[in-house]
Amino acid sequence: MKMVGEFFRNIFKNRMMLLMVLPGALWFLFFSYLPMLGTVIAFKEYRFDRDGFWASIVNSKWVGWQNFKFLFSTNDAFIITRNTLLYNIVFIFLGLVFSVLLAVILSEITNKRLSKIYQTGMFLPYFLSWVIVGYFTFSFLSSDRGLLNGLFNSLGIPPVQWYSESKYWPLILVLVYLWKAVGYNSVVYLASIMGIDRSLYEAAMIDGASKIQQIRAITLPLLKPIITIMTLLAIGKIFYADFGLFYQVPRNSGTLYGVTNVIDTYVYRGLKTTGEIGMSAAAGLYQSVVGFTLVMASNYIVRKYDKDNALF
Amino acid sequence: MSSKRKKFSLLLASLMALTLLVSACGGKNASNNAAGDGKGEKPVELIWYTIGTPQKDTDKVMEEVNKYTKEKINATVKMKQIDFGDYNQKMQVMAASGEPMDILFTSSWAFDYVQNARKGAFMELDDLLKTHGQGIVEALDPAFLEGSKVDGHNYAIPANKELPAQEVWRFNKELADKYNLDISSVRSMESLEPLLKTIKENEPGITPYAMVKDFVPLMPFDYIIEKLPMAVRIDTTDYKVINMLETQEAKDALKTVHEYYKAGYISPEVATTSSVDDLYKSGKWFMDRASTQPFAENLWSASYGYPVVSTPAGDPYIYNWSVMGSMQAISANSKYPEKAMEFLNLLNTDPVLRNMIDSGIEGVHYEKVGDNVMKNLDESKNYDMPTFSLGNLMITYLNEGDPENKWDEFKKFNESGINAPLLGFNFDSSKVTTELAAVQNVKEEYWSALMTGTVNPDEYLPKAIEKFKAAGIDKIIEEAQKQIDEWRASTGK
Repeated sequence: MKMVGEFFRNIFKNRMMLLMVLPGALWFLFFSYLPMLGTVIAFKEYRFDRDGFWASIVNSKWVGWQNFKFLFSTNDAFIITRNTLLYNIVFIFLGLVFSVLLAVILSEITNKRLSKIYQTGMFLPYFLSWVIVGYFTFSFLSSDRGLLNGLFNSLGIPPVQWYSESKYWPLILVLVYLWKAVGYNSVVYLASIMGIDRSLYEAAMIDGASKIQQIRAITLPLLKPIITIMTLLAIGKIFYADFGLFYQVPRNSGTLYGVTNVIDTYVYRGLKTTGEIGMSAAAGLYQSVVGFTLVMASNYIVRKYDKDNALF
Repeated sequence: MSSKRKKFSLLLASLMALTLLVSACGGKNASNNAAGDGKGEKPVELIWYTIGTPQKDTDKVMEEVNKYTKEKINATVKMKQIDFGDYNQKMQVMAASGEPMDILFTSSWAFDYVQNARKGAFMELDDLLKTHGQGIVEALDPAFLEGSKVDGHNYAIPANKELPAQEVWRFNKELADKYNLDISSVRSMESLEPLLKTIKENEPGITPYAMVKDFVPLMPFDYIIEKLPMAVRIDTTDYKVINMLETQEAKDALKTVHEYYKAGYISPEVATTSSVDDLYKSGKWFMDRASTQPFAENLWSASYGYPVVSTPAGDPYIYNWSVMGSMQAISANSKYPEKAMEFLNLLNTDPVLRNMIDSGIEGVHYEKVGDNVMKNLDESKNYDMPTFSLGNLMITYLNEGDPENKWDEFKKFNESGINAPLLGFNFDSSKVTTELAAVQNVKEEYWSALMTGTVNPDEYLPKAIEKFKAAGIDKIIEEAQKQIDEWRASTGK
């Protein structure tokens, strides 16, 4: 009884804090935890029931692991897993390097006005939808009216059929991704650089440290926690590919699939006509489970070496 | 923190929590309470999802429609339109989540009729047709109801329209006349060569063949599933299911297209081009292929603003997909199936209702210039509906300039149709979903590139065949063969 009383007294004491948490908690409850019950669909052959959604779930037949089979039934499974993982590893690594680099450079610009202009310019692509970005790249790569082939033409280089030559696409995709994402991510790092105590730099300057030395000895070490957190979060999504990037930018060109097919596009292409919800749910569950495992594993490693920077 | 500020932030926090709750739970029940108790005194509200770009004046027109239907069948309708590109996906989600609805559009090409009927999305209509839909049975060409049965039952009401599908070559008449090209001698894909060559050599700014990525050469097959290579020959007698990519016909057809591609008759971008509307608008194209219907040339010429002529590319065949081109079904979770059927019955037999839903309010969106002839007014741009998707075509008013005998010609055209071998057979894919998803992916990878001639078939066709095999196409063929044999045994084909 005393425990219960204590519990409620605690709630009352912290009511302000708890109320502030409430909206977020409810959000997660409704949009993340509640839908988790739907995971059972991954193990069912989903059929509609006239009494609505819940009846449909309950009355659908159990099929065990049947829905997961299509993910692994062909040698495409290897290609899509490889593409998803490799692209995401490159994105995480290069994204980190360029974002931090950009944030450091931006923070060193003394003209505040110019710095804001650069920042906005680099920030902007993040807000464009992939469809629009897809058309941007198309205006460069179109085989008869594209900028690049026009340039090649005037230089006497034979034109390239960009949308059917898969060897260029890993590079193109990485470039397009960086162009779109780096500006946004750098803001996070820029904000934490702004939060670093200025007196540290002043002290370093008095001691005669150069700019490079200041960055290496002060900025980067103090950025380490946020870098770790951002990277851990990104690793959690390593099995989720950016659908728009891999579908819209290569204009869904079949000859490029070897290097553009990722788990998300594979699932989409396989199920858009059949509409088998069970199989889509299975793919989603598979991605979540792998993502969860990877976050736990990398967090474990981080905690082992550097306890303060781990997520939990 | 002063107590006033404390109270204020408390209020703010609870407000936020409340909005979240409301926004999370809202929208679900909104459409439920509108419906009456269904006992007959209070008019019933039917929720109707249909395909097409949402129109500005839909609610206005529906108000008039409701006055009419309330009087006739004591029911009102709430029409919700979903755009062509979104219809398939949105309806799949809504049907799966049990969204309240009564009537919904379905077809062979959007929100797939056969598959969703099998999944239980639609109500079986056999009895309802007898009790509340006699008008439909009388008005429709019997081939429609017969051809749209799934496992022996009707699950939707097809629109009474053209029954067979016939492909024609379409030509931009100005260009054909300019170079004195004889289009009447054209029939096969190969016979186009001299015409395309003339245009390519003389008109550098013109795309000779306006092709999109969905293009498939005409080949003599009836497909088990559209745009997948499992098929039987169109003149088959033994109903043997084959992978049509392995046939000589496919090899030859793909070779021809590839030659046209190399010769520059087709845009180099074709494998990623999903629409050539810009070419149609500017008139910078010479020819393409399309499905026809009686007086289609008039329709095309009117919508492009310059004359278009056509000549047949194949015979009119009645396929499953042409019969199921446009249908209205009653949702499995409908609370008022009888009323819904009464409404569909009225829609397919009553010219007043049918034309009101199709063209809007008389005097506002259109005016009548004859007994069954109408003219669109300026306001019609606020209510421009896809006529074919909304039931019986043959009771809609003619447009000014339409020939008097339009619907008679439709009937003649329907009679001229040849039954495709698989008409009436619907493949049940539930045993091979895994293979189908994999095959679908292989198709996406190779199909467009091969069919549009972008890649050399000598090199890519064997690759595609091999990948289809690895994805399990043989298992699908085997399953299809088994089902076809059973179907033949039970129907005596």
